[in-house]
Amino acid sequence: MPYFLTSLRNVFSFFFFLGRKTKRTKIFYLISFLPVVMAFIIKFSQIFSGSRGFTGIYIFSNMIIVFYLQFLILILALFFGISVCSDEVEGKTLTYLTTRPVSKSAIILGKYGAYTLLTILMVWIGVILSFFVLNVDKLLDFSLYRILLKDLAVLSLGLMCYTSFFTFIGTFLKQSILFGLVFGFGWESVIQYFPGATQRFAIAHYLKSLLPSPPRGRFSFLMFRLEPSSPGMAIFMLFLITAVFLGLACLLFYLKEYILED
Amino acid sequence: MKYVIETHKLSKWYGIVLGLSDVTLQIEPGITGILGPNGAGKSTFLKLVTGQIKPNIGTVTIMGQKVRNNYSLFSRIGVCPEQDSFYEEMTGWEFVTNLLKLHNFSNPEIEARAGEVLKIVELESDKDRIIKSYSRGMRQRLKFAQAIAHEPDIIILDEPLNGMDPLGRRKIIRLIKKYKAQGKTILASSHVLPEIEAMTNKIILIHQGMIFAQGDIQGIRDLIETHPHIVSIKCNNPVKLASEFIKKDYVLKVNFSSTPDVLLVETNNREEFFSILPSFFVKYNIEVDEISSLDDNLQAVFDYLVGT
Repeated sequence: MPYFLTSLRNVFSFFFFLGRKTKRTKIFYLISFLPVVMAFIIKFSQIFSGSRGFTGIYIFSNMIIVFYLQFLILILALFFGISVCSDEVEGKTLTYLTTRPVSKSAIILGKYGAYTLLTILMVWIGVILSFFVLNVDKLLDFSLYRILLKDLAVLSLGLMCYTSFFTFIGTFLKQSILFGLVFGFGWESVIQYFPGATQRFAIAHYLKSLLPSPPRGRFSFLMFRLEPSSPGMAIFMLFLITAVFLGLACLLFYLKEYILED
Repeated sequence: MKYVIETHKLSKWYGIVLGLSDVTLQIEPGITGILGPNGAGKSTFLKLVTGQIKPNIGTVTIMGQKVRNNYSLFSRIGVCPEQDSFYEEMTGWEFVTNLLKLHNFSNPEIEARAGEVLKIVELESDKDRIIKSYSRGMRQRLKFAQAIAHEPDIIILDEPLNGMDPLGRRKIIRLIKKYKAQGKTILASSHVLPEIEAMTNKIILIHQGMIFAQGDIQGIRDLIETHPHIVSIKCNNPVKLASEFIKKDYVLKVNFSSTPDVLLVETNNREEFFSILPSFFVKYNIEVDEISSLDDNLQAVFDYLVGT
């Protein structure tokens, strides 16, 4: 195996191991279980009140866009993406990494990979459990599993793309959390509702273009003005954005001087 | 003699603050001590040497190669940073093994090396505790362990003895000397002269970002010995003691402090002064409560040497 890939694998396993142990991961695991709790409450209230209300897949689709797409993956990508670089600088542990026979690109890409996989696993566990709880009476309807798989894929692509953007921001800015919040809940929330080509400047546009079952009813306004890109274009753009920001993050991390302040 | 580390006109500023100025050095195999008071530029120098920061002017090479972003060089370099920072959620064992992993050793080799190095720094029995629960001395030893675990040829240690108990210090100093005997190059910084003195007689003095002196430690020792020192003696008969000391040519001044039983003596020959002191106590039956040297520190010596 080429040396770069071996280094990448070593950095990945280092931070996948470390990432599981951090307080931040534990807190976000708890947050990602909120929809499961919500799903239980909804299902129990449906069972005990006797009213059928909305179908499980209807609630699930709304949950995906309202909680996961518009909130959780943004927050996860923001905190984990930014920490790829800023944890090392603020925690003053950068020296341990940059004095190893490992290239700076391998450090960024390996840590990004580890954190992206961690967040994907966090999201998947919550999504899969919520799906089963909400659709417990329709587990033999295999068409629903297609929706589940597509939702999992869209959320994973979202995490991959947003985390790369925030990794770049973390290598670039000192107070990156604030900027990340403005981007995530300002720019992304607003620009996706602009008509015409402008909405294509939001990552959320491409994710929404890929949703297998857009929300209906009360939360259908979240798809307001969506002029979806084709699935092929959406996937291409998500990969392109990821590659561009990861490339920029590696370049900056290579060139920039990080002063570990006392 | 082939130099291992070479710097040429190395300068570094942090904004308008001078970190290091015009440092040209050649460092040979063996132990070299970097000595200077806090804020003198020792850490800046070591960070430049290890490529952690970029020089504004000048160059650094290790074994003829540029250092910054030359990651392959780091299989032969071990760095013990000054800052007391770790991946706190890891255990000592996990910390060392995971960092060894980055050197691309096989798993059995990683385990063997980690086991050996933790034994050397006497953390074997605490290896499964999380680092957060380690004492300052244990953390310092762990930091040292990760720097030597991959058996580097060049070991760069920034204040390696900080926070260690005397026994721990002795052990680390012994280890450093052992590495020297193996032909390795060790660069260690400290603001405590006796620490450096215990390791080596080859020193570089840094003050205000500049190399102030370089060479044998004995010369520095002599400077310190002749540097006027104020010694405070708390006893039951300071007047008698003052009358005896004032006759000595190496005593520049005697003063009585605001406390009546404390005598302040300024001398330019500490060795003579301290050798005669006990005889006065015995001769005049003086009971002593406390003797302290008010400016027996590196900063005072530097201030004296640079005339500030």
